[in-house]
Amino acid sequence: MAAATALGPKATPGESGSPAASALSMERIQSLTDLADLEAAYTRLCEEEKVVQEELDALLEQQSTIENKMVALHRMGPNLQLIEGDAQQLAGMITFTCNLAENVSSKVRQLDLAKNRLYQAIQRADDILDLKFCMDGVQTALRNEDYEQAAAHIHRYLSLDKSVIELSRQGKEGGIIDANLKLLQEAEQRLKTIVTEKFDTAMKQGDLPQVERFFKIFPLLGLHEEGLSKFSEYLCKQVANKAEENLQLVMGTDMSDRRAAVIFADTLTLLFEGIARIVETHQPIVETYYGPGRLYTLIKHLQVECDRQVEKVVDKFIKERDYHRQFQQVQNSMMRSSSAEKIEPRELDPILTEVTLMNARSELYLRFIKRRIIADFEVGDAMASEEVKQEHQKYLDKLLNNCLLSCTMQELIGYYITMEEYFMRETVNKAVAMDSYEKGQLTSSMVDDVFYIVKKCIGRALSSSSIDCLCAMINHSTTELESDFREVLYNKLKQGFPATTFQDFQRGVTSAVNIMHSSLQQGKFDTKGIESTDEAKQSFLVTLNNVEVCSENIMTLKKTLESDCSKLLSQGFGGEQAQAKIESCLSDMAAVSNKFRDLLQEGLNELNSTAIKPQVKPWINLFLSVSHNIEEEEFSDYEANDPWVQQFIVNLEQQMTEFKAGLSPVIYDTLTGLMTSLIAIELEKVLLKSTFSRLGGLQFDKELRSLIAYLTTVTTWTIRDKFARLSQMATILNLERVTEILDYWGPNSGPLTWRLTPAEVRQVLALRIDFRSEDIKRLRL
Amino acid sequence: MCQDNPVLDKPCEGAFYLFSLASLILARFVPAAVLSFQWYTPEACLQFKEHFHAQVRTAFCNNPGMLKISKVVVVGDLYVGKTSLINRFCKDNFDRDYKATIGVDFEIERFEIIGVPYNLQIWDTAGQEKFKCIASAYYRGAEVIITVFDLADIQTLDHTKQWLEDALRENEPDSSFIFLVGTKKDLVSDAVCERTELEAIRFAKEMQAEYWSVSAKTGENVKEFFSRVAALAFEQSMIKELENTPGHRAQIGEGNFIKLEKNIVEVPEDNTQVSLSCC
Repeated sequence: MAAATALGPKATPGESGSPAASALSMERIQSLTDLADLEAAYTRLCEEEKVVQEELDALLEQQSTIENKMVALHRMGPNLQLIEGDAQQLAGMITFTCNLAENVSSKVRQLDLAKNRLYQAIQRADDILDLKFCMDGVQTALRNEDYEQAAAHIHRYLSLDKSVIELSRQGKEGGIIDANLKLLQEAEQRLKTIVTEKFDTAMKQGDLPQVERFFKIFPLLGLHEEGLSKFSEYLCKQVANKAEENLQLVMGTDMSDRRAAVIFADTLTLLFEGIARIVETHQPIVETYYGPGRLYTLIKHLQVECDRQVEKVVDKFIKERDYHRQFQQVQNSMMRSSSAEKIEPRELDPILTEVTLMNARSELYLRFIKRRIIADFEVGDAMASEEVKQEHQKYLDKLLNNCLLSCTMQELIGYYITMEEYFMRETVNKAVAMDSYEKGQLTSSMVDDVFYIVKKCIGRALSSSSIDCLCAMINHSTTELESDFREVLYNKLKQGFPATTFQDFQRGVTSAVNIMHSSLQQGKFDTKGIESTDEAKQSFLVTLNNVEVCSENIMTLKKTLESDCSKLLSQGFGGEQAQAKIESCLSDMAAVSNKFRDLLQEGLNELNSTAIKPQVKPWINLFLSVSHNIEEEEFSDYEANDPWVQQFIVNLEQQMTEFKAGLSPVIYDTLTGLMTSLIAIELEKVLLKSTFSRLGGLQFDKELRSLIAYLTTVTTWTIRDKFARLSQMATILNLERVTEILDYWGPNSGPLTWRLTPAEVRQVLALRIDFRSEDIKRLRL
Repeated sequence: MCQDNPVLDKPCEGAFYLFSLASLILARFVPAAVLSFQWYTPEACLQFKEHFHAQVRTAFCNNPGMLKISKVVVVGDLYVGKTSLINRFCKDNFDRDYKATIGVDFEIERFEIIGVPYNLQIWDTAGQEKFKCIASAYYRGAEVIITVFDLADIQTLDHTKQWLEDALRENEPDSSFIFLVGTKKDLVSDAVCERTELEAIRFAKEMQAEYWSVSAKTGENVKEFFSRVAALAFEQSMIKELENTPGHRAQIGEGNFIKLEKNIVEVPEDNTQVSLSCC
């Protein structure tokens, strides 16, 4: 078994190729002793031999092919040698070409470099020549007092590359150049001193061409800031001189002069115009010789002088016009109630106008310089970063907001607002006190007067072009209208509409007492007292009209102001929030209009309940005395001699004519509206207290129809809605049978919307004496 | 007092935002502030309610689209930081350079509180005496008066009474919320701040004002303060609106009215979360 395993692998023919592995090892054979084993080994060896023999045969068969191949290979040998040689040659050629190319290009590069150096050299040579030329030129120019030429040379020198100068010093002629440079620097310094000196002299002499001449030289010497500040110094001096002159003129003005009242505003105008003209004239020079973005510096210097001069003018103004004292007086007057010590508001009129005019001029001037500076910055900052732009914007804001001009004007306007408020309040009080009413007019004089005053005051604030000032005055006007003036009207309405009928005699008395009482209390209002009820009635109706007109006037005023303000804003006045500020203040004002509307409603309710209701109610109550439980005979009698409705209509007509004449159409309309509601409610009440026969129901239907027909003619509103319930009741009262209601109720109602609840329907049905209550109860509604 | 509110079961201490940023917030409102009912100090505080009046809550579901505006007037001595306070809130910036306000400045901060557009109109007045005449013309109709003083300058606190008096004179009595605000908290040490606050709280009680300490420079408490202002002013203006409306409602007939089922849509009332966002 062990042998069998050992022999196992040998059986595979594939492995028999190699002699060492194929044959059974000699030792093994030699060690074999058993015959069977020997035979087996023998057979195996024989098989092996056979296999080997076959393999050998196969290999021998291939011999010729291999030999052929060998021959072919031998033939290819020399060819390969050739190829190798060729390849080497090619490589050599390529290397050569490469080197050649490298060589050529490096030469080109060198050439290029050489060219560049040459250019540089030429440049330097030029520069050096320039430098020399400058050195010589400066000397000559200085000798000839040709400062422009000299400055041009210096400018050339300054714009030269510093390394050139350094290099030229290192050259062979370094010594000479050094000396020359020194000369040049000296010349520069000398030129600077000369230009400054000459400029100063020219400035002293007021020699404009010379000033401008040297002004142009500064930037060439790199002295932009200095040039601008010196030039502005010169301009400031001119401004100052002119302003001084103007102020002298002011002092000499005759008080009768046409412009005397606004002379300080005029002086400021002249000052601002002067500065504006200077900016206008010199802006091109600055732009050309100093480049864009420099205008700010110039104006900044000018603004200092402007502030100084404004201060002088304003000081003079305050002194001459007694501005502060007047303000003090106004403040004191506001505290006091007695009119004797009060300052007369009319006296304030001119000064208020002048202050607003002064402010308007300042705003105009500030807007002018703002626009100029922004435009100039825009040109200069076209390529600049966002930060630089913001920085510039900040400079500008600072200049505009922090300048003394702004602050001074703001202070003046602060005082102005208090004074204007006083002016408005006092004048309004006067208008109220002088209130008069002309027959045939709907309103009394004070409404027109008060709104004229308010408009005038706001208009004046508007004319100052200051949004803050305008908004402040709008606020004050709103307060004045809302509190003080509304109070006046409210007190008048509180006196009530005197009733005239006998039942209300007592009420009339109390109201008369009230009138006396309040007139005594208020003192200044209604001192005439109300002699007759007629006058009291008139007064009430006129006040109602007044209230309505006020409410409308406020809306008109708001609209006018809105358009005025949008004009102002479109001209570029006011800051970013100006629009929102104005809107806010105007909406507050509009809210007051609603308050007047509420007051009107209150007054109408009062009128309705004191004048209309006490009259209308008895008239309607008469309905109860007319029986509607009628037969054929009475029905036809009623047709001939109307028992109630015609008289009722006549009464109503009479009563309303009085109101129609005395009230504005809108109020009259509302009043008739209130009246119709009242009639509908009261009639419903009496209806439910009556009883009806079939014909009585028909009678009521007729009455209701004529009443509605009449009321439709006197009101512009539709009144059907108010009488809907009554009409439906009339329909019910007109039914033949109880169950007929079902033809109109619920799913059969069609386009009709019932305004009555089922309970109410039953209640109305019960008014018909001929309807049995069991039937009504049985109804399923 | 917080029992009815699950969010508030925790003791009411520290910062709790009853009206915190909810899922309701719309993505287009990027810088969202949180409307909070949190007061600064219980000693000087206008009210302790932790959520809107129930009426108001229903109202803002029923009245989408109506714009409410509340006017806020800021007064106080010059250089106490009125403008800085407003700029920190409205523009979130702080300018070291002092620039005196001339006349009045004006900012509108827009909010939307669940569908109700709401604007705080902030009038920033000049503190300088010489500009007082013009500034005082703007006090009228203020729903909120903010009196400002400088925590580092005790004198400015003394002047707040006068400022308030001036502002109240132009308004109907009891029509405005009053706040007393100490600024520049960053400039004083905690100890000094505490001492000044005690004094300020005493003032606030007298003025019937709510007290806050803030710093515009660091932004500390600024957002929280204005949130409180907006929350109170908003509620007030809504209540006023509701009081006014029933009177004008026309009533026709007395028949069967159609009863509207008030099924309020998706208001997470149990969380009492309301988003307040700046547009």
